[in-house]
Amino acid sequence: MTQPLNGMCVVEIGDSIAGSACTKTFSDYGARVIKVEPFSGNKIRRMPPFKGDIPDINGGAYHLAFDTGKESIIVDYSSNSGLEVLDRLYQLSDLVIFDTTVEKTKKLRSMINGVKYPSTVSITPHGMSGPFQDRRENDMSILAWTTRMYRNSMENMSPLRNAPGSTLVQIGHTAAAVAVGIYWGHQHDQIRRDAEVAGVEAILGNVDTGFVSWIFTGNLPERIGGQLKTRYPTGIYPCKDGYVILSANEEPWFSRLCHAIGHPEILEDERFTKDRENNWHAFMEYLGPYLDQHDKNYIFTHLQEHGVMVAPVLNASDLLDDPQAKARKSFVKIDSAIGEHFLAGAPFHLNKMNDKSFKLESAPKLGEHTNTLLKELDYSKEEIIALFRAKIIG
Amino acid sequence: MTQPLDGLKVIEIGGTVSVSAAGKKFADFGADVIKIEPPQISEVRKIAPFPDDIFHIDKGAVHLAFDTSKRSIVVDHLTNSGKEIIQRLGSKANLIIMDIPAKEALDLINIFKDGDSLLTNIVTITPHGMTGPYKDRIENDLTLFGWSTRSHRHSITGREPLRYGPYAGVVQIGSTAAAVGMAAIWGSRSEGMSRLVDVAGVEALMGNVDSGFFLWAVNGALQPRSAGQSTGLYPMGAYKCKDGYMLFSAGRDPVYSRLCNAIGRPDLSTDKRFTDPVEKPKHFEAFKEILEEWLSTRTKYEAFDELQEKGVMCCPVLDASELENDRQSVHRKSYITRNQDGIGDITIAGPPFRMNGLHSDAWQSKPAPSFSQHTNEILEEYGYSKQETIALFRAGVTT
Amino acid sequence: MGNASLEGLKIIEMTEAWAGPVCASLMGDMGADVIKVESFPRHSLTRPTSPRYATMPGDGPVYERDALHHQGNRNKRNIAIDIRTESGNQILKKLLSDADVFIEGYAAGKIEKLGFGWKDVQKINPNITMISIAGWGLEGPYKKMVTLGAGLDATTGHLSLRGYPEGDFVDTHPNFHSDATGSSTIFFAALTALLQRQKSKTGTFIDLSQWEGLVWQFPTILAEWTMNQRIPERLGNDDPHIVPHGVYRTIDDDKWIVVAAEDDQQWEGLCKIIDRIEWSEISHKYSSIVGRIKGREEIDNAIESFTKQYEGFNAAEILQNNNVIASPVVTPPDVLLSSQLHDRSWHQTITHKWTGPVMVGGFLWDVEPDSLSWDIPTALVGQHNEEILIELGYDEKKISEFYTNGSIGNHYEN
Repeated sequence: MTQPLNGMCVVEIGDSIAGSACTKTFSDYGARVIKVEPFSGNKIRRMPPFKGDIPDINGGAYHLAFDTGKESIIVDYSSNSGLEVLDRLYQLSDLVIFDTTVEKTKKLRSMINGVKYPSTVSITPHGMSGPFQDRRENDMSILAWTTRMYRNSMENMSPLRNAPGSTLVQIGHTAAAVAVGIYWGHQHDQIRRDAEVAGVEAILGNVDTGFVSWIFTGNLPERIGGQLKTRYPTGIYPCKDGYVILSANEEPWFSRLCHAIGHPEILEDERFTKDRENNWHAFMEYLGPYLDQHDKNYIFTHLQEHGVMVAPVLNASDLLDDPQAKARKSFVKIDSAIGEHFLAGAPFHLNKMNDKSFKLESAPKLGEHTNTLLKELDYSKEEIIALFRAKIIG
Repeated sequence: MTQPLDGLKVIEIGGTVSVSAAGKKFADFGADVIKIEPPQISEVRKIAPFPDDIFHIDKGAVHLAFDTSKRSIVVDHLTNSGKEIIQRLGSKANLIIMDIPAKEALDLINIFKDGDSLLTNIVTITPHGMTGPYKDRIENDLTLFGWSTRSHRHSITGREPLRYGPYAGVVQIGSTAAAVGMAAIWGSRSEGMSRLVDVAGVEALMGNVDSGFFLWAVNGALQPRSAGQSTGLYPMGAYKCKDGYMLFSAGRDPVYSRLCNAIGRPDLSTDKRFTDPVEKPKHFEAFKEILEEWLSTRTKYEAFDELQEKGVMCCPVLDASELENDRQSVHRKSYITRNQDGIGDITIAGPPFRMNGLHSDAWQSKPAPSFSQHTNEILEEYGYSKQETIALFRAGVTT
Repeated sequence: MGNASLEGLKIIEMTEAWAGPVCASLMGDMGADVIKVESFPRHSLTRPTSPRYATMPGDGPVYERDALHHQGNRNKRNIAIDIRTESGNQILKKLLSDADVFIEGYAAGKIEKLGFGWKDVQKINPNITMISIAGWGLEGPYKKMVTLGAGLDATTGHLSLRGYPEGDFVDTHPNFHSDATGSSTIFFAALTALLQRQKSKTGTFIDLSQWEGLVWQFPTILAEWTMNQRIPERLGNDDPHIVPHGVYRTIDDDKWIVVAAEDDQQWEGLCKIIDRIEWSEISHKYSSIVGRIKGREEIDNAIESFTKQYEGFNAAEILQNNNVIASPVVTPPDVLLSSQLHDRSWHQTITHKWTGPVMVGGFLWDVEPDSLSWDIPTALVGQHNEEILIELGYDEKKISEFYTNGSIGNHYEN
């Protein structure tokens, strides 16, 4: 059985994690993805960690994980000869993803006009217009614009980011959605579309920000860190061998929790029925001992049997051994530039868990496919060497 | 210690053909030559031919031949962090050879200055030198030839001037830089003083032999542009034989007379038509007919053996396929064939000169490094922590 | 009329909270006909019946005024059905019979019990794409487990590396990153199946574990462990390879700014601004990345002594004008102060029966030539019951019968 996106060709002209994250899903479900890289390689190749802490342009963790199954071509598109190569690539493709400066994107996108050209998606930090369009941002500074850093922190302490890279991944991931949307549209109404994903807008317009709540209520988010001591239990709680995270402050989960830990009397106790927000300490006299006595995986299975939303806090070493991950084969062993290593598997399964619609293939070496692609684009051997010598391709 | 230059540290910066040719001399005789390459790929790696005509940064012929025995590190010398690396590497080196634009070279020289003195020997290679109105001009192998009068000299009056084989000019400039670099190392060893050497390509070519300038300055007359067979002082140049061409330098005595004897025409050695300086140019065609008739029954190697036996300066004109099998080359192992990772067997020229006999280890050619092959190894050797190494890589200072 | 990329597609969304609902809105943004099948008579998580922290003060039903609900439910129509009733069950069947995509968010196994497992749905409509988005997927030992986004954050390893390095781990704020990214995953999955349908001519069932949809986004966690046998530590806002890279105080109390200089060029710009130009000169140890890594503290102090003199937006402006990465750490009210967002007309003012006109956040993306529009504000419970049922062929009499027998509704009991 062929993969669902077989036959589709996506060109990625990117330089950050966002562009790679955007096209990864296309690639893993069968689309042909061509990464157009500068001579120094896409910046994603320089993102640590590296095996043994030894930098390797073909061995960075992000590159290995996000460029799976793609082709890599080095083109310097700052010159006309490079643009001519791009023009042929455009015509070969069904979708072009830009993830570079606004100035470059505008120039490169302006060549795409007319029926023989594909739809495009342009990823930038602040969008392609407006006073901030040329600002340079990174994973953390974009998150700062979205209210999420402010929210994820404690009063009068520095705002906090999420995991490094995760903001750019979210932006790329958002771009993937609109990309597949306009690709669908193009196939059905033959209208070529140019979509624009501004990183700040993509995250601010999504959930888990404090903006809409503030608009609705006028209340700023409570910056009190993890455990909410007025509406509890929610947040991170220590247990015998680590931590669990609980979301049981609302009904019916609160009642279920009280039953599960053997203290249904809490539900009749006036301290909690009438004045819950001031009695966190009293509540912890019930919950605390239960948590202290049990380890995170026990708490997880035991409370979940009672329908309580709880999860263990896992770290890197726990992941591969997680029973669910094992059962679902959520991690896949792959052989690539650094030898065998593990990558996360399918984000979703079509039809069956073991179907072949998702396939991980190793990430390309820098410029690995330049030659074959140029041949495919009808360049002769002499022309290819001439372009190489002029530092147009590599 | 088996090689003469063991223990010497040489840094080459710029990745051009010239600087690669210069560094090769040191590397193959045992110096630790670190090739500092720009992130945008060294020029020397881009030059064809490539196996099967498929370009590859580690498979270009000139790179494979000139970057032997070196280590490759990629550093962006335009950034301050890159300069810091170069400073750290360079201050332990005996010599730095750089072929980068004059402005950039000045920046790098400044980081090796300690007051008025230099911390190490530096040779700069530029087309026109580090000063003067042309110092920032960009040139290539062909334009440098143009400047050196050699293009003019090696062509026929009224037709376009010609260059030599591609890259001959820039390689010569590199060899020149290697020679002066070696002198600077010697000097600092004996005097304890480091020197800054400015090699201008045009000057290096023009100041050397085979330029027309010296002749003109002496006799004030332009030489005739008579590329190929000289019609005045013949036989000089290439003459057709049974299977190709023979090159002669036999216009004057005693070689001319030896040639006449050797081809069985001793009479010609006293024939006024060919010996009187005024008459000789008028009878070029007649002589050519006689010589080529003799040559027409002989292959170039037969002619070569027969004529050299009689002391005639002549050589067969060999093509690429004949070079490797030439019996002299075979005997001296002038070409070496070895396995290069990712390519298979390749053949390159052997030692430019022999120390301690044909079979000594003084000259050892190790395979050319792949792009950036030793970046991490060198950074570690020079005291960079893993964290620092990753930080430099991430910012694109190294690759 | 807005964007028409997905025009002609009919989407049935039966999910709660954020990931599923936002996905359906994104499809609505692009022209699909999205019908939200609202839980009835049980109200959904984001429609509380008594006021809470995200409830807009005012008149009208509380469940129509919750910010968390409004955040994920634009551009769709709403029908509230009790699918446990026989008529409700029939209505859903009719809805599914000509739908292209069916997204359901029940805990694993529940939808089968209600008669809408894949085997049933496939019989109703063999061409449909059905997506189940249980937290840990429909198969495996955790399939029965329940969770919100915060639990997925904890079990993918993300939580373990967030937070103040020097602080107590329990102070780390739970977040809902899986919701913020899950919507795009579901969107992509749906379209992937539809593209497959073009070739296979049959429908597809998608088992989407939100945990799996999230875990691939953090490749470093797994790589540190499997490549280097290290468990990544909490780093706060530091980056081990970039100095400066942090959050600094501004002139305003508890207001902050992000500053980072990732290369020598950005560093030079920063030195100029913070009056330490000599730090960028080649003779100075801080002119090199390796020198700066050793001097994090001194550099951070110098930056903060600059940023503390300015208001965050202004400091960011000054720094950005000199090639430095800088952004104010934006609070919710600050969103209204961004000249960029205003210039791009990003904020949307919508009018809703119970919230009145409010300015809220805009779209995740924009498209030319047919740009997006906010055609339908968050629908009231059962707002489109009649309209949709008539389209399905029911008459008014039948509809009022449905109301009477409780198979549909348009309000919740408190």
